[in-house]
Amino acid sequence: MKKNWIKFGLLLVTVTALLFMASMPSRAAIQGLTGPNFSLTAKQDMISTADGGSILIWGFANGTGRAQYPAPTLIVNQGDNVTIDLTNQLPAPVSMVFPGQAAVTATLTSGTWADGSLTKDLNPGAVVRYTFTAQQPGTYTYHSGTNPDLQIEMGLVGALIVRPSGFNPASPTAYGHADSAYNREFLFVLSEMDPRIHEAIEFGDPYDTTTWWPVYWFINGRTGPDTMSMPNVSWLPTQPYNIMPRFHPGEKVLLRIVGGGRDPHPYHTHGNHVRVIARDGRLLQSAPGAGADLSRMEFTVTSLPGGTIDAIFEWTGKGMGWDIYGTDTDFEHLCNAKSVADAQALRLINPTDPYFTTQDSTTKELCGDHGKPFPVTPPGQLAFTFGPFYSGSPYLGAGGSLPPGEGGLNPNAGFVFMWHSHNENEIVNNNVFPGGMLTMVIVEPPGVEIME
Amino acid sequence: MKKYLGFKVVLLMAFVFLIGVTPSWAEVFSQCPGDINGDGISDDPNIVCIHLAAGDGFVTMADGYPLYMFGFSDVTGTPDDLVMGSTMFKAEFPAPTITVKEGQKLYLSLSNVGMPNRPDLSDPHTIHWHGFPQASTFFDGEPMASFGVNMGFSLTYFYNVAEPGTYMYHCHVEATEHMQMGMLANLYVTPKQDGTPKTYNGKTYTKFAYNDTDGSTGYDVAYPIQIHAFDPEFHDASRNVAPLNFAGIFDSYGMLNGRGYPDTVNTGFILNENGYPAQKMNSLITANVGQKILLRISNLSFDYYALTVLGIPMKVVGKDAKLLRGPTGIDLSYITNSIELGGGETADVILDTTGLATGAYFLYTTNLNHLSNNTQERGGMMTEIHLN
Repeated sequence: MKKNWIKFGLLLVTVTALLFMASMPSRAAIQGLTGPNFSLTAKQDMISTADGGSILIWGFANGTGRAQYPAPTLIVNQGDNVTIDLTNQLPAPVSMVFPGQAAVTATLTSGTWADGSLTKDLNPGAVVRYTFTAQQPGTYTYHSGTNPDLQIEMGLVGALIVRPSGFNPASPTAYGHADSAYNREFLFVLSEMDPRIHEAIEFGDPYDTTTWWPVYWFINGRTGPDTMSMPNVSWLPTQPYNIMPRFHPGEKVLLRIVGGGRDPHPYHTHGNHVRVIARDGRLLQSAPGAGADLSRMEFTVTSLPGGTIDAIFEWTGKGMGWDIYGTDTDFEHLCNAKSVADAQALRLINPTDPYFTTQDSTTKELCGDHGKPFPVTPPGQLAFTFGPFYSGSPYLGAGGSLPPGEGGLNPNAGFVFMWHSHNENEIVNNNVFPGGMLTMVIVEPPGVEIME
Repeated sequence: MKKYLGFKVVLLMAFVFLIGVTPSWAEVFSQCPGDINGDGISDDPNIVCIHLAAGDGFVTMADGYPLYMFGFSDVTGTPDDLVMGSTMFKAEFPAPTITVKEGQKLYLSLSNVGMPNRPDLSDPHTIHWHGFPQASTFFDGEPMASFGVNMGFSLTYFYNVAEPGTYMYHCHVEATEHMQMGMLANLYVTPKQDGTPKTYNGKTYTKFAYNDTDGSTGYDVAYPIQIHAFDPEFHDASRNVAPLNFAGIFDSYGMLNGRGYPDTVNTGFILNENGYPAQKMNSLITANVGQKILLRISNLSFDYYALTVLGIPMKVVGKDAKLLRGPTGIDLSYITNSIELGGGETADVILDTTGLATGAYFLYTTNLNHLSNNTQERGGMMTEIHLN
């Protein structure tokens, strides 16, 4: 079997790991509007789906901008008096409701409104001011309360994030308690659409939400693989948010999952379990202050319609059984100051040495597998149909040769995992596979700087 | 003219595969480091070797309707050079159950033996161990992140089995299509605690779902129950080389372990249209009164399904291959009459039959429309528990 790994960068990675990790700040990665005062407009626009489709939406826009799907993520602090001025420029009545927030008041600023089923429905042209105090930290949703079976389908739904009192961006937590601490956070607004309803609205035909049959599925308003494009790309002007988490081994990644549609979705994270620490904006705790002592680990998290989940993902490759950085001594890496050869020699003398229970504090490598050889002989390249994210090698941070044109989407040779709805018909864009509710995440080698 | 010649080439390739001659550029190659005597089976108790062949086959629904499917078959121990020829149309549904013990190393060789009923397809296949903790991309079996295994070739997956629990495995190439077509199976890992007697509520057990340290997941008999459902129009379109209607998938054959009721309680063979028993698992559960039954429930279908057991309380002790216990030790297990799982979820449920009457009890879906084999009533996602 030809061993054809071209190892570029791993030495560089090791050196820069020492340089970067010491100074790597935790970064928030959730785009949105910071409060506590917001001015939003309900308007009509179009979104694109990755199969080339175009769908009419009703969305909340920031001020005079274009409508967006999902609605702008509102970010406020615990204790803030939040005000949202909503102007209705839709051809139909609209409103906003805030599940999980107490004592929301609505005051008509101009125009007229009428009693609706959930709240006062604002007539076209009217302006209303909503106010509430964001009393509890967490992940929440907000959406239209008017004719919601139609209007949430049309896109009037978004996320609201309340940062805990004393929030420190350099050492962030979701709920104040250390059990909710994270290094990076990502928002997942999960939703789906039946384009026939949008076409009916577009052409003024009668619509029927009882025969609803979704054929598009979204994360943060985009269908896969648009989910993985950059945020604010010019060709998706009404779908500004993306979702493509990239992080390092050992980092805590917070998933804020919002059920933005009317279907439940089983969201499956390849690579490891997540720890579900909160639901609907409340830590899973046995008593106030206890922390997330009622949390549980899941590899597939059910997102309920209208509900939210906070879950923490962490990957180190613990227990892999082979050295994830490779054992080629041409391309050395250290685990707690021992080289591959050192570790192999020690393993021969004393396989239960306490060294093998340690973890490298910089790279988070588990030294128990340091120096262990790759366990199988891989076949030659003819055996494989390559995926676009394959680096060419099984090792973290080390690429390998690939046939011309293959790979390319994983230049740092990270470990790539798919995070997706496991109701597998939902990873399709209206008969075109793959698509829908999927994205890829990349565990980048330590020392690779992740720009946000 | 060129088109016709191309078709002949495809026919020739199919013929070559069919007669079992492996062309020199293809290579079925299973690996088993624990195999000393060369029979393909590990002689080392800490190593498990399995060789699966990915291909196609046929199944029969409980109302008699035949369906074309894709699947895996077990070729462990078959010499590599005989694998291609010997597995034609032998795919099973569900695929063979994999059981390993915590602490073992699993070498799982996958050979893609092609799909002779669709000579126009050259689909690669993979194995994704669903839920494997701390996975590597190379062995995760998700082809966009890594690769798929081409026809005529093999890959040996390696798993250092460190966490007990109920998992699943399935092909992840064109997942919507390959999973609807049936490339999926049960997989579970028994804990290191097995064999150590533990007493819980006055009874002593030596088999457990997890390393619970207190015997709370102890059981006497265990049964895997895998939820899946087929859309017959999708399978017929695949058989007839017609376009596949992903957007319109509508599953109407609900099944447990690959069969609809009453085939779920048929302990005999279910033969497919070729006379081969492709659906090897029944779901008949038998136990003695007083015993604890562990149900390893998994769902690899495209929808949420809820199951209930009439007359026997269900205690959910595990979810997604993790003991239901908080990080500080708080017991999160609960007693219920129903459990709902979406695609990709698993649960461990213990039925305590203490003090119950003998006889037949029913485990069935409360999504009552799925108590049918397509349009045939009194079928579908149901099985029986016989207490003696």
